[in-house]
Amino acid sequence: MEIAQFLNSALVQTSPLLLCALATLVTSRANMLNVAVEGMALTAAFAAIAVGQTTGSSAMALTGALAASTGMALLFGGVAIGLGADFIVAGLGLNILADGGTLFLLEEVYQDPGGLRPDHFPDLWRVPDGALSFLPVIGGALERQSAITLAALVAVPVMALFLYRTPLGYALRAVGEDEAAAAANGVRAARVKMLSVLLSGVLSGLAGAQLAMDRLHFFLPAMTSGRGFIGLAAALFGAAEPWPTAGAAFVFGLFGALGDRLQAFQAPSEFVLMAPYVAALLALTVARWRAVRRARAAPVSEGGR
Amino acid sequence: MRPLVLPPRLAAAVSLLGPAVAVLVGGFVLVLAISDDPLLAYKDLLFANFYSVANFALFVNRTTPLLFIGLSVILSFRAGVFNVGGEGQLYLGAIAATAAGLACARAPQPLGLIAAAAAGAVVGAIYGFIPGQLKVKLGVNEVVSTLMLNFVAMLLTQYLVTHPLRDPTAYGAVSFMLAPSVWLPEIPCLPGATDGALIALALAPLVWLALYRTTWGADLRAAGANPRFAEAVGIDADRRVLEAMALSGAVAGLAGALYVLGIGHRFEQNFSPGFGLIGLTVALLARLNPFGAILTAAFYALVLNGAAYMQIDTDVPRSLVGLLTGFLVLFMTARGRAAAAPA
Repeated sequence: MEIAQFLNSALVQTSPLLLCALATLVTSRANMLNVAVEGMALTAAFAAIAVGQTTGSSAMALTGALAASTGMALLFGGVAIGLGADFIVAGLGLNILADGGTLFLLEEVYQDPGGLRPDHFPDLWRVPDGALSFLPVIGGALERQSAITLAALVAVPVMALFLYRTPLGYALRAVGEDEAAAAANGVRAARVKMLSVLLSGVLSGLAGAQLAMDRLHFFLPAMTSGRGFIGLAAALFGAAEPWPTAGAAFVFGLFGALGDRLQAFQAPSEFVLMAPYVAALLALTVARWRAVRRARAAPVSEGGR
Repeated sequence: MRPLVLPPRLAAAVSLLGPAVAVLVGGFVLVLAISDDPLLAYKDLLFANFYSVANFALFVNRTTPLLFIGLSVILSFRAGVFNVGGEGQLYLGAIAATAAGLACARAPQPLGLIAAAAAGAVVGAIYGFIPGQLKVKLGVNEVVSTLMLNFVAMLLTQYLVTHPLRDPTAYGAVSFMLAPSVWLPEIPCLPGATDGALIALALAPLVWLALYRTTWGADLRAAGANPRFAEAVGIDADRRVLEAMALSGAVAGLAGALYVLGIGHRFEQNFSPGFGLIGLTVALLARLNPFGAILTAAFYALVLNGAAYMQIDTDVPRSLVGLLTGFLVLFMTARGRAAAAPA
């Protein structure tokens, strides 16, 4: 029971990270380093609360969140792929835009730069209490989880299937390995890249919606507080493979939970919170070190640029 | 649709001015739409910095770190390194200068100040050297490494400022106050404005000279533009890249150090409103030209501070600047056509 309880709260913590990690992964596989997950998730969190407040429907709130983040992804992809802007600079710009734009709307529309706290907010569909009691441990971990958390868990095998078992997934990875060669084989590279950015937007949107809608039911400026980048760290640590990335996201989520615990005891939590970034950097370094040792000239550089 | 063919110089200018002008016009229309007094809003945004000496001093102080970081970005980008680690180097430089300044409180007058500034620069240089070394030796993507190192640096300073360096009598996470003996003096005829601004202004032509009037700079730019060509003609490209990254880190570290020594007089965890990112914007808007960076840094400081005055006097929120900056950075590098990514 104790373990189930712990897993349950760990899952709540992990699911936004997992979704952010998958959002980074899907563009990484098309050879684009996506630093804009943070901003897309933040926009979605804002849209979720704003739409949920006015409509009183959680389905509408989720739809609004996904529409907002996909719109941001469309803007991002349009500028970076369509107009040939630098992917990193445009991504950083999108984050600034999300930060400034949500704050601007808070001040201009809601007259409260501190945040958006509806009195009543519709709850998401959840796994009913006791519905899975026939399953030991896992049942307890999954009960009361939101629909988005379940979607996040399902997204991992779906992502693996998509990348390795569908023509589009092949095309996406081909573009990531060598865009010119893929194009020569009839893959419409720009379209495939755009699609991966849009997918990234949907996944970031789920992350932002989960963050705002699952427990908190409010929006705060910059409330994603670096989760997009922890997701990036997880995708890097997991070498942009779905299962290892999901594992990394889960471990990093635990680090986050541990950091919160430590803070309550006045112990320095900073070093625990540092762990994802250090781990990602070490993993990249070791991977590159092995690659350099194995072959003198690596034909395709890792990581997106 | 065929792309317009422009002379390269003109095309370069258009590609930069285009987004900037579009964003300004868009911002003007937006202010027109939401404000009862759009003229006052724009007047404040652009001119309130010059209403009083105190306002002007704040403007100078705001320009200083932006110019430093802009120059730091120029040094690394010219060497072909996409260094987004300015924020982390800034924070570590600031905390190192704080620690050194607290330790040297009783040192003779200029020595403590020099030691503290040097500590910031050295720590920044080391923090720039690490991603440089990882890139040169192993080919680790510098965007990723500098991004990750930013978070590590900020968590590290957060630990230092909430534990060993924390001033328990002050509210919030701030360090002990530095002794006035290590403060960087103000500009003599401009009370409130830090001398760091003069150092930054002096640094810009130095960076230009180093990049464009020395063999070292020519080699560095060659290494940045085409490392294989540079190696083929006998330039030690790896070495130039490492030097550029260390220097870039040192300048960013110095920015943090001089901020603490000249403006803050103590370390505060959230002292930077994203100087790293804005510095990157400043450098790119200046087309990586050190002299241009003076103008773009000043322009950005003007708008950032002007927005605060605008918020006080009118109904336009200052987050308008964040919104417009987002659009500007998003479109800044757009070239109208899909093309190969720049170095």
